[in-house]
Amino acid sequence: MDLLNSLIDNTIMNPTVQIWMSVFFTLMMLSFLYRDNPLYKFGEHTFLGVSLGYFWFRMWEITIVPYLIRPVKDAFLDFQSFDLVMIFWLAMGSTLFFRFSRKKAWVANYYFAFIFAYFAGYIIPVYVQLLFIQASNMMQPIFQLPTFFEITKWIVIIFGTFAGLMYFFFSKPHKGLLGKTARVGIIILMINFGASFGATVMGRIALFIGRAQVLADNWQVSVIAALFIITFLFVYFKFFYKEQEFDDESIN
Amino acid sequence: MDTLIQKLKRIDKRWIYLMIFLSCILPFFPGFQFLNMEFGETKETIAVYDNINMLEEGDAVFVDWAFDPTLAAELLPMVEQTVKQCFDKKLRVFIYYPVITGMSLGENLLEKIKGEEGYEHIEEGVHYQQLGYLPIGVDMVLFSMYSDFKGTFSKEGKIFDGIKTFADMKYMMTFAGSAHPESYILLQRRFGFKMGTGVTAVMGPDFIPYLQTGQLDGMLFGLKGAAEYENLRVKAGADKKYNQKANSGMASLTLAHLVMFLFIGIGNFIFFFEKKRKKN
Repeated sequence: MDLLNSLIDNTIMNPTVQIWMSVFFTLMMLSFLYRDNPLYKFGEHTFLGVSLGYFWFRMWEITIVPYLIRPVKDAFLDFQSFDLVMIFWLAMGSTLFFRFSRKKAWVANYYFAFIFAYFAGYIIPVYVQLLFIQASNMMQPIFQLPTFFEITKWIVIIFGTFAGLMYFFFSKPHKGLLGKTARVGIIILMINFGASFGATVMGRIALFIGRAQVLADNWQVSVIAALFIITFLFVYFKFFYKEQEFDDESIN
Repeated sequence: MDTLIQKLKRIDKRWIYLMIFLSCILPFFPGFQFLNMEFGETKETIAVYDNINMLEEGDAVFVDWAFDPTLAAELLPMVEQTVKQCFDKKLRVFIYYPVITGMSLGENLLEKIKGEEGYEHIEEGVHYQQLGYLPIGVDMVLFSMYSDFKGTFSKEGKIFDGIKTFADMKYMMTFAGSAHPESYILLQRRFGFKMGTGVTAVMGPDFIPYLQTGQLDGMLFGLKGAAEYENLRVKAGADKKYNQKANSGMASLTLAHLVMFLFIGIGNFIFFFEKKRKKN
């Protein structure tokens, strides 16, 4: 055990090794932008394996042991009447495994019924309340709003919502006034999609900047890793890579 | 002209990736400081800052940490500044993790803060408390916190003095890259707590309606929101050396956007040029 601990301390837990791994894996994943390759696949599978392993370890440590194994153990040692509640929900939760059987899958429906009933009962009233808060906020005297900007914002929100809804009104042909309103509606929707897309691009670039910062902070390591990856890609695609050939038989 | 247009139309997308890559990484090297432009703070960021600034010594702040390392680049600088501001104001900070994979990120951040000048005295259980993860939904956690705050998390310590339920929290901040803050907004009318949020740029537009109604007091929006918050703290006297994480990425964000504008411009130019030529 001591040997294993010291091995871990001197490899994965070592700060220098961590920097090298961080840089290497970042560049491995980025190598996909050139072309799908074994280094990318290795990075991808390592990432999935490590994240799932980490997640299940934390889940076991924080959830399953304190909320399931320990109470069940205690119930065996010293049974109390309130342990029945835990046993009932454990049994209910276990019915989910019946989903693996086609014939007995209906058993799990009872547990799902509880879940759906709980969420329907909880979510519907609070969402309706939320909708009313949003709607009632708009119901105010327009010319008493504090600034010109607020007034124009109110107009855009009210008429923009109305025009957007009209675009999805298909009971009448989109001609005349309805057609023009629907046209305004689609412009409003496009502006909205454009704003969301812009924010998404900014968010993705910001995430990449996080990785770029790691590469720039350790630029010597990055240069060596990049040279290694470029050499690997060159050798792989020049000498080992074979284009996959599809014929009619293999597709069928 | 035609040859150039044809060449631009056939440009390999990998050159565009390379340009974006270079635009993100080059500003971190010397010689690109001219891209660090001055920018103002939005009223939503100022609102979050002011709300925490107005609290009094010993008041409790609830921090909801609903993100994992994949979103750390945008959200970590926000939490760092919020937590540091709370420590500066001598507020008590309670950190709850609704996402299990965010816990170690939180532990690392607090260790890092404790290593900085001026925060060496910070102790868990006195100045802050990590409440951990609970395997139940936020709605159930909130109901439970409103009946017994300490009992919900099975934690003890001096920091809990005078805090019986969640109603004793003076402010709450939730940080997420999903619709998670909505879980709190849904129950806000029922319980009446004050809250602000820090979200990724992707999720920002979804929360703007809640700012209009006053359900959210303030909002930190993406990397820029984090940079604005850093500037507010630096203006108030925080050491620039330790509070520039988001700002250091702003030059890259500017250059990457300029490159994108360039490509969008070229694409539009080719589109209209060819359209005009077909007409003629």
